Amino acid sequence: MIDNTVVISTPPHVKSKRTTRGIMGDVCIALAPAAIAGIVFFGYMAFVIELVSVLGCVATEFVYYFIAKGGFAKKCKNAKLTCINWWKQFDLTSVVTGLILALILPVTVKWYEVLIGSIFAIAIVKMFFGGTGKNLVNPASAARVFMFISFSLTTYVAANFGPILEGETLTGATNLADYLLQNTHASALSSLDLFLGTGVNGSIGETCKLAILLGYIYLCARKVIKWWQPLLFLAVFGFTAVLLSGFYFESYRFDISLFLPHILSGGAMFAAVFMFTDYVTSPKGIYGQLVYYIGGALLLAVMRYFTKIEVVSFIILIMNILVPLIDKYCIRKPFGYVKEKKQKEGK
Amino acid sequence: MKAVRGKYFFGGVHPHDKKALSSASPLEVMPEPEVAVISTSQSLGKPAVPVVETGREVKVGELIAKADGPISSDVFSSISGTVEDIRDGIGANGAPEKFIFIRNNGKTDKAYLPPLSSPSADEIKARIRDAGIVGLGGAGFPTAVKVSPRSPVDTLVLNGAECEPYLTCDHRLMLEKTDEIVRGARYIAAALGVTNIIIGIEANKPDCIAQFESYDDIKVVILKKKYPMGGEKQLVYVTTGRKIGLPPKLPADSGVVVENVATAYAVCEAVELGKPLYERVLTVSGGAVAAPKNIWVKVGTKLEDIVNYCGGESMPPKKVVQGGPMTGLALADLGAYTHKTTSGILLMTPEEAAAEEPTPCLNCGKCADVCPMHLMPMNTEFYSSAGDYEAAAKYGNTMACIECGACEYNCPAKRPLIQAIRKTKAEMRKIMMGGQKK
Repeated sequence: MIDNTVVISTPPHVKSKRTTRGIMGDVCIALAPAAIAGIVFFGYMAFVIELVSVLGCVATEFVYYFIAKGGFAKKCKNAKLTCINWWKQFDLTSVVTGLILALILPVTVKWYEVLIGSIFAIAIVKMFFGGTGKNLVNPASAARVFMFISFSLTTYVAANFGPILEGETLTGATNLADYLLQNTHASALSSLDLFLGTGVNGSIGETCKLAILLGYIYLCARKVIKWWQPLLFLAVFGFTAVLLSGFYFESYRFDISLFLPHILSGGAMFAAVFMFTDYVTSPKGIYGQLVYYIGGALLLAVMRYFTKIEVVSFIILIMNILVPLIDKYCIRKPFGYVKEKKQKEGK
Repeated sequence: MKAVRGKYFFGGVHPHDKKALSSASPLEVMPEPEVAVISTSQSLGKPAVPVVETGREVKVGELIAKADGPISSDVFSSISGTVEDIRDGIGANGAPEKFIFIRNNGKTDKAYLPPLSSPSADEIKARIRDAGIVGLGGAGFPTAVKVSPRSPVDTLVLNGAECEPYLTCDHRLMLEKTDEIVRGARYIAAALGVTNIIIGIEANKPDCIAQFESYDDIKVVILKKKYPMGGEKQLVYVTTGRKIGLPPKLPADSGVVVENVATAYAVCEAVELGKPLYERVLTVSGGAVAAPKNIWVKVGTKLEDIVNYCGGESMPPKKVVQGGPMTGLALADLGAYTHKTTSGILLMTPEEAAAEEPTPCLNCGKCADVCPMHLMPMNTEFYSSAGDYEAAAKYGNTMACIECGACEYNCPAKRPLIQAIRKTKAEMRKIMMGGQKK
C-alpha cells in the first residue's frame, strides 16, 4: 500500500512554487530591455561585451564547481555526472551577475578586460566566500571597481554622465556640475534625452532609463523586489543632490528642476533598481532596509557633489559592507511585544 | 448581527486552499471501529491515568482514564465493548503514549452525564471539565482551564477562520450545526460571565457568514482570506484590535478567550445531552484520496480504516499528514489512531507535497516579509545551523514564534526553517532549565 517513498518532514507540507532559479530568471528578463537598448545605442560591441561577461561568469562558476570540494580527479572521472549535478544546482545567479557587470561597463572597454572582470566577480567575490547567498558584496559592482582601478582609467571616466562632446569625452570635463550650469554649456541635454538615453555617454545598460523603468515594472509585478525600495532611494538621493547642487551657483539657489537630471544621469537609476535590491547583499528587516536605502542615497549624493566620476559602484560596496552591522542592530520587535519597564532601584 | 470586516494584520501567505475537494460533502457518520485504540494523551499537559482494567465492559462515553492534574483531560470510551489491553506504545509524533484497547461488542449502551437545563456558570465549568473537552483546533489545550481565566475577561472570540488549506470540517460544522455552535458559545460566555461574543469567519465561507448573521447576540467578523488568520494572536488582533503579549502572556491577559467552533459545539452537546467528548469531525482530503469527505469519527479509530471508508487511495501518496498541511504532522504510515485533536488526514500527491531539496539561502528576506509575528526566521536558521542557539534565539526572536509555517512556505530556497526554529526552541528550553538549576 504505502511504500517507502513517503516523505516525513516538519511542516509546512505545502510550499510556494517560487524557486531561486525562477527569481533569477525573472531578474534576467527584467534586465533584457536594458541589454537590448545598450546594443541599439552602442552597436555590436555592446553585444560582444554582454556575451563575454555572461559566458565568463557561467564558465568560471562551472570550472570552480569542478575544482572545489570533493576532489578534482574524482570529478573528472565522473565528468558526466558532475555536469548533471552542476546543472541541477545551477540557479542563474551567475548569469545575472554577468549581465549586470556588462551593463555597468562602458562600451569602450576591451573584451579581455571584461573576461578578467567576470572571473574576478565570480571566483573571488562570490565563490571564495561560499557561493550563492554567501558573498559579502555585490560581485558585479566589486568587479567594476576592480576593473576601474586596474585598467585604463580614462575609459571609465569617459563613461561618465553628461552629453557626448567631441574631443572632450576622455577628459572627464563633461561632468554633471558643468551640465547643470546650462547657461555656460552649448549642448545641454534635456531631461527627455537623459530619460531615453539619446546622445548621452555612459555605460551600456545605464543610459536608457526607459528600459530600466520597464525592468522595474516587471520586477515589481513579479514581486521580486519591493516597489518602494528604488523609489525611496531615488527620492532621497534626488532631493539631497538638489540641496547640494545649490552650491554650484554663485549664490545658493534651491532649484527643484534639477531633481530629474540628477536621478536620470549616470548609473543611479540602474543601481537603484538592479544593484541595491540584490537580495544577498541587502538587509533583511524593514528597518534595516530603510537605513540601507536612505544611507546609500545620502552617501551617493554627497560623493557625487565632490567627485567627477561615477561613484555608484563604490557606494554599493560601502553599503554592502555595512549590511551585517545593520542587520545586527535593526531587529524587529515581535508582534505583541511590550517594552519591559525598568525596575526602579532603591525602592 | 450584520457582519463587519476585520482589521489588517501584517504578514501572512496565500496558499492555494484546495478546499473545493471536500467542502461540498456533507458530514457523514463513520461506522464504529472493530477495535478502538485510545491514547491517554489527548490534550496538552500530563497524560490521563487509566481507571479501567483489562476485561472490564465499558459503555459508550464511559470514563476510562482520569485527568492527572489541572492541565490534563479525562478520556472516555468511544465505543461499547471490552477493555482488551492497556499498554505503552509510541504515538504518531514519536513520543511514548499509553493506549487502551477496546474491542467492540456491537451494543449502543450509553453512559452519558445527566443533561443540564438552565445551568449556572459553575455548573457549566464543571461540565466542561467532566466531559473532557479540549480545544479542537489542533493544540488541544484543556477548555476547562480556559474558561477559568487568571485575568478578568470581557470577550469570547470564536475561531471559525479555518485558514489551513484542505481542511473543511469546521466549515461543514458551521454550516450544518449553526444553532448548536451558537448555543455552545452562549454556554461558554455564561461560564466566563461575558456577553460579548465575536465569531471570525474567513471570507471564503460566505454561506457560514450569512447563517451566523441571523443571531443578534453574535458579532460576525469577516476575515480576509490569508494564512495564518486563525492563529490565536492574529485572530484576536483582527477581530478586537487587541494585541496579545508574548509568552507567558495568554489571551486572557488581554481580556479575551478564544475557542474553536468545534469546541463550542462539543460544549453544547456536553451541557444539553451530557455527552462527553469521544468523537469529532475531521476532513479526509488530498489528491491521493479517492473520495474526500468530512466525517464524524470516534476517537481511537485507525487512520487506515478512515481512508478506506473514503474510498481508499487513488494513487500512492508522497506525504501522509495528520492535521492541516501548514502545521500538521507527517506520518510514515496509516497505522496511527485518531485523537481528540485530529482535525484532518491528508494524503498528498507528489505534485501537492513540496519535497524539494533545499538550496542555499539567498538572504532575500521573504520569510521575514510574511512572518505574522514580525520575526527574522533566516537569522534563526543561520545561527542554529552553526550550533549557536542563543544567538539564534536572540537575533531571530525565536521564542515568540507560533510555528505557523508561513516563512517556510514562502521560502524560494525551500530552507527547513520550522525545523531550525523547533530545534532552537528545544535547545533554548534546555539552556533555560540548566540556568535555573544553578
